[in-house]
Amino acid sequence: MSQIKTEVLIIGGGIGGAAIARELSKYKVDATLVEKGPDVGQGITKCSSTIMCQGSNVLEFRSEYHNSRLVWAGMTMMEPLCKELDIPLKRIGSLELIKNQEEMRHPEKMMRRFKEYKGKYIPDEVEPLQFIDRDTLRSWEPNVNKSYLGALYDPNIAVNDPVRLTIALADNARKNGIKVLLDTEVMSISKGTDEFEVCTNNGSIKCRYIINAAGEYVGKIAQMADADDFALYPVKSYQAVLDKKLGGIINHMVLSNENGMVAPTIHGNLFFGISPGTQRLGKAHDHSTDKKLADAALKNAQELVPGISERDITNSFVGFIVFRNFEIGWHECTVGVSRWVPRFINASIGFPGICAAPAVAKEMIDILRNQGLQLTENPDFDPYEKSMPDFSELSDEEKRQIIAKDPKYGHVVCRCETVTEGEIVEAIKRGARTLDGVKFRCRPGMGRCQGGFCGPRVTKILARELGISEEEVTKKGGESRNLLYKSKELLEAQQ
Amino acid sequence: MKLQDIDVAVIGAGPAGMAAAIRAREAGAENVIIMERAEELGGLLHQCVHNGFGLLYFNEDLTGPEYGNRFIEKVMDTGVKPLLETMVVKLTEDRQIGAVNAKEGFITFRPKSVVLAMGCRERSRGALNIPGSRPSGVLTAGTAQRFVNVEGFLPGKRIVILGSGDIGMIMARRLTLEGAKVEAVVEILPYIGGLIRNEVQCLHDFDIPLYLQHTVTQIHGEERVTAVTIAKVDADRNPVPGTQRKIQCDSLLLSAGLIPENELSLMAGIRLDPVTGGAVVDETRQTNIAGVFAGGNVLHVHDLVDNVSWESELAGESAAKFAMERDLGEKGTINLKAGTNIRYIVPQTISGQRDTTLYMRVNEPQENVRIKIGDIMTKTVRAVKPSEMIKIELSSEKLQKVNKETKEIIVSCEKRGGK
Repeated sequence: MSQIKTEVLIIGGGIGGAAIARELSKYKVDATLVEKGPDVGQGITKCSSTIMCQGSNVLEFRSEYHNSRLVWAGMTMMEPLCKELDIPLKRIGSLELIKNQEEMRHPEKMMRRFKEYKGKYIPDEVEPLQFIDRDTLRSWEPNVNKSYLGALYDPNIAVNDPVRLTIALADNARKNGIKVLLDTEVMSISKGTDEFEVCTNNGSIKCRYIINAAGEYVGKIAQMADADDFALYPVKSYQAVLDKKLGGIINHMVLSNENGMVAPTIHGNLFFGISPGTQRLGKAHDHSTDKKLADAALKNAQELVPGISERDITNSFVGFIVFRNFEIGWHECTVGVSRWVPRFINASIGFPGICAAPAVAKEMIDILRNQGLQLTENPDFDPYEKSMPDFSELSDEEKRQIIAKDPKYGHVVCRCETVTEGEIVEAIKRGARTLDGVKFRCRPGMGRCQGGFCGPRVTKILARELGISEEEVTKKGGESRNLLYKSKELLEAQQ
Repeated sequence: MKLQDIDVAVIGAGPAGMAAAIRAREAGAENVIIMERAEELGGLLHQCVHNGFGLLYFNEDLTGPEYGNRFIEKVMDTGVKPLLETMVVKLTEDRQIGAVNAKEGFITFRPKSVVLAMGCRERSRGALNIPGSRPSGVLTAGTAQRFVNVEGFLPGKRIVILGSGDIGMIMARRLTLEGAKVEAVVEILPYIGGLIRNEVQCLHDFDIPLYLQHTVTQIHGEERVTAVTIAKVDADRNPVPGTQRKIQCDSLLLSAGLIPENELSLMAGIRLDPVTGGAVVDETRQTNIAGVFAGGNVLHVHDLVDNVSWESELAGESAAKFAMERDLGEKGTINLKAGTNIRYIVPQTISGQRDTTLYMRVNEPQENVRIKIGDIMTKTVRAVKPSEMIKIELSSEKLQKVNKETKEIIVSCEKRGGK
């Protein structure tokens, strides 16, 4: 078992932890990020709705809430951040549909509140909300249910790929000097007078500051240090991705009063989702979808966009929204030093966590300084990353060029998403070690056949590139091997 | 052969593509190419190591690879040019093809005619929308078949199979022979999805339990499948409360339907039949785009490879004729419409001028029926099942009853003697 020392330990490699690590890498500091899984962004980040810059349309948020202020502050940070990291971000805008006369009052109230908050809590660059009438709605979105009377339009809403963003944040942090330790799970934390000793499955880590960005497990980690001065209230949401052939039928994110929404993804699919509002999870860390939620989400989505059919679902999953501080308000977050343990900082964003991440990361710098950490600028900080080539997006001429340079780009492995061997090898070079790691970097298996065709082929490439046997290849680390035995192995064992 | 001079380009080198390409050559087309994304010709036949292939076509009982090899040899003998490890990524409405491979890079060309033979894919877990966690160990029966028969690995040793399609039942037997225990085959319908011969030879002969009118209601396990919950379903296919039962297993195989692979067809603007999921064609197997033909599972899912070969030969022959003569004569103007207990008919339109074979499926199993092709002809059949395709030959003499005014012929399946 190894023993290392670091000044700041970030626990959790989701978007929160990765954004904090990258922000810290702008300074000269000895910091380490630990992630229990084999890859970053594979917890609740993976399950998020991909909607960015949410905030101006959720004005039910209150300025009193720290969470709301973070979300609003994050709104203008996302676009430049994505540019630096070469992650596509698309402003699609959202349309909150209005069903009846009673709901007509809602856009007015929201627009008024927007004006009131603008410049104060909402940055000046944020575009104002608008009301659009029935005819405009129909011309913008001819496939939305014709019965809606109009919509509240928020032009700021954008989509991107939060897992790719998290991977890029972690890569950039690593490049700028932050240590990133994968497969490293925190087992216990003991408090000394001026340092913590964190025991992991890979040895112990001594550190002066802990940033608890463990997402869904933020409570568990805080408890280890008796720093759990908050109450968790996790709720489940449900999302389903639809076949790309439906991609173009909706242009904006459309949502209704009933917690349902339909939106395009950055990759050209449509997806729909539902949040069950205040319905508490049955069991902690239960990631399973259930039929009731799935049926309700589908019904809701069909109400918004009648052209959606169950037949076109290619995948569905549970998203987590971790609400906390129930007594104060549903949307309040836990970002700050534990009231009970100095230098132990909880950084749990809750909903909508992706949007707030850059603002949380910025705030973390002030919190650390307040806790006594000396932070001087890192003169060598390089903010840029280059995303990997996406063969399917290249022009015919670019396709020719890249194949001429590396013939592996001429070998299409995933037919649904047109992913080449060249991209898969590049993804592995960039750190993918599991089938999911490859899938979330370059999409083989994300299409309509869900890896039925390319699964065996990606397995082979992973085994070859990593120098392991095909049986050792896992879906997502741990016990998730795909192939448990060799042919004839069971027969030989029976003899 | 220069890309500019290609007469017939066949997309896909499974049984359909090979049969189409061979026949196109035999029918006189000079330059025929077959484009295949895999490393070799034959498609999925390589992983179908069981027998039962060719009973009709060759009057012999062959394995998949044996059946495939006969066509592979013929592809070579007839001078069809295979382009392997070549993926067609683009098809336009004026028959422009864009394809990539490692050797030539990105190539584009416009053949005189095209045969679509891309086959089909399996319905995935996502498409089935099965509730539960997302562990490894959930895979389609065909993927499992490739792992076991081609790659040399077993997904696990305690298996549950959802759906009773042919590949699922065949894999139940295959995995049993490999020493795994198949705990259950679970089918939501009151009857099996595949052929009766597979139910007998793959399930009954190996004492594998079959649960009809049951479904998987939950998948358990965080990293790897640990169990599934199954339940009985009611007439509306909803789980009946109180009938849930947890089965310990390490793998869940899915064999619950096949979907024709028509993404290229959609790109080209080819009109699809919402029931078959394949192109709408006339008796020459021409789609709504002149010079683009389709045959085999890309057109509609077959249960016997023999029919795939025959149908694709027809598509290949038409493609050759189109390439040489630019015209196929009378177009399909008469619509064949599915009536009582008929799910679909292929071709969807006919000209009424040629001998033709109608392929069709029923919605529900039924005994002692009469299949009526409008008032042209009737055929009595002892039993029909959705899983078994019905073939009816329609001779041009019978079609003389059809006149220029006929716009539609209703095909129906009715109980014999009274109702």
